Amino acid sequence: MSASVFGKVVAGVAGAAVAAQAASVALVDTSDILRPPGALDEADFLSRCIKCGRCIEACPYGALIADSSPTGPGTGAPTLSLRDQACRMCQDMPCIPACPTEALHPLDSREDIRMGTAVIKRELCIAVTGMRCEVCYRACPLIDRAITIDFHMRENDAIHSVFEPIVDPEVCTGCGLCVQRCVISTPEVAVEIVRDREKALAMIEEEQAKMVSSSPF
Amino acid sequence: MSKESCTPAAPRTPAEPRTPAEPRTSSNAKPRGRKGAGLVAARRIVQICALVLFAMPLFAAGWSILGLVPSPEEPMATPAEGLLWGSFSASQVGPITLMDPFAALQVVCAAKTLAISGLVGAVLVLVVYGLIKGRSFCGWVCPVNFLLEGVDWLRARLGIKVCELPVPRRAKILVALGVLALSAVLSIPLFEAVSPIGALNRALLFGSLLGVVTLVAIVAVELFWAHRVWCRSLCPLGGFYQVIGTLGLLSVKIDHDACINCGKCKSACLSDPAILDDAVAGERNRVCSGDCLLCASCIKACPTDALSLGVAAPEHPTL
Repeated sequence: MSASVFGKVVAGVAGAAVAAQAASVALVDTSDILRPPGALDEADFLSRCIKCGRCIEACPYGALIADSSPTGPGTGAPTLSLRDQACRMCQDMPCIPACPTEALHPLDSREDIRMGTAVIKRELCIAVTGMRCEVCYRACPLIDRAITIDFHMRENDAIHSVFEPIVDPEVCTGCGLCVQRCVISTPEVAVEIVRDREKALAMIEEEQAKMVSSSPF
Repeated sequence: MSKESCTPAAPRTPAEPRTPAEPRTSSNAKPRGRKGAGLVAARRIVQICALVLFAMPLFAAGWSILGLVPSPEEPMATPAEGLLWGSFSASQVGPITLMDPFAALQVVCAAKTLAISGLVGAVLVLVVYGLIKGRSFCGWVCPVNFLLEGVDWLRARLGIKVCELPVPRRAKILVALGVLALSAVLSIPLFEAVSPIGALNRALLFGSLLGVVTLVAIVAVELFWAHRVWCRSLCPLGGFYQVIGTLGLLSVKIDHDACINCGKCKSACLSDPAILDDAVAGERNRVCSGDCLLCASCIKACPTDALSLGVAAPEHPTL
């Protein structure tokens, strides 16, 4: 009898674990997690993605990886770890036709990719604080369009300029090459890809309002 | 099973010959049980192949498994450039996209739409399993059933007593309907987010932990609570294929003259043993239930070779 009671306890615990996992699918918010090119908002993406991994197997740069969290709606779905490998915006975007459910919607051109928008954290950016860097500007596949350099005289300095990278949110695809290449890593990378467009625009505005001293010396 | 039927076919030693005095069930001169043993062996080979199949394209492309993909500066070869790639959920054979039809149904419920390639792929898979028999997927391909057959073997070896069929076999059809309803409500293909099917496969390929919680829960339950309860009564994909399985041209046939009503087929059955009742009772010439996995366990267990796998038009469909 004790064995069958133990069996029932195991069954109860296992049932609760599976129920909790199913609840996590309904409750965990993954709307900030980056998705491959062609993905629309997280609700549209999650309603279609079956976690088959085909896009992962189609990425020639190994940029797409499976979300390795054990619970939540995005478990096993494709995402990117930008510091390891950003999206290289392939001309033919092979990840998109690999998707059997159009969780990744077909795009006309790679410039239509909108994985998110780059937001530069001006207080961390060494270019803003007065050094020459421009690494993100030169890494950007849409150089001089998605990222431009705004140069202006350094404050209280008659002979030196600041070369500040500026993101154009209308052009930025959110590929994340700027994040991968950024020379700053502590306390955090000086640029991030923000998936939600409204949120990104608000953050850019907030950053531009910051008074950052360009005299580090 | 008798000792002689376990002997490999090749050496025809004097110890093995059958005497005319030995009862024959038909004109078939094969030693008894050989047919079922062969089928089960073939099934094991298919199960193992299915498990390693999708890892092969990764190796072929020079990738690593476990999601440890290199991050090259120049584009590298991809599995998707090969002839066969993908996973149990969706795969590609040459120009043909294949997709799990139950996953496709969930997407239809969740997204209220389905891309053409997925739709065609799902219909293709449905036609194949529809022609063979729905749950032949469970018996021959599904890696979870393969694992759980191993768990069941281990449980028996450890002598752990569990209950038999505490949940009726048709419950999994309700689970499948529930999954579809919840997929529609939550707008997410629910089973695909927790499915243990391909969990090992996906963990191996991509380092994904999708379905691992479910898989551990199922293994614990089958070790300590109920005999094969997941595959028999709970898996929604099994429930889906159980409905499809009422069609299908392959089924287990019974030779009523040979049947001695010993019940060994029922103890060996990987599904609900009750699906054999009508056939054993002499009311049907074959196992008509859509729940049959075509696993051939009953054929192998039959001491008089009364059971065999045969082609027949579906009739008397039962779930």
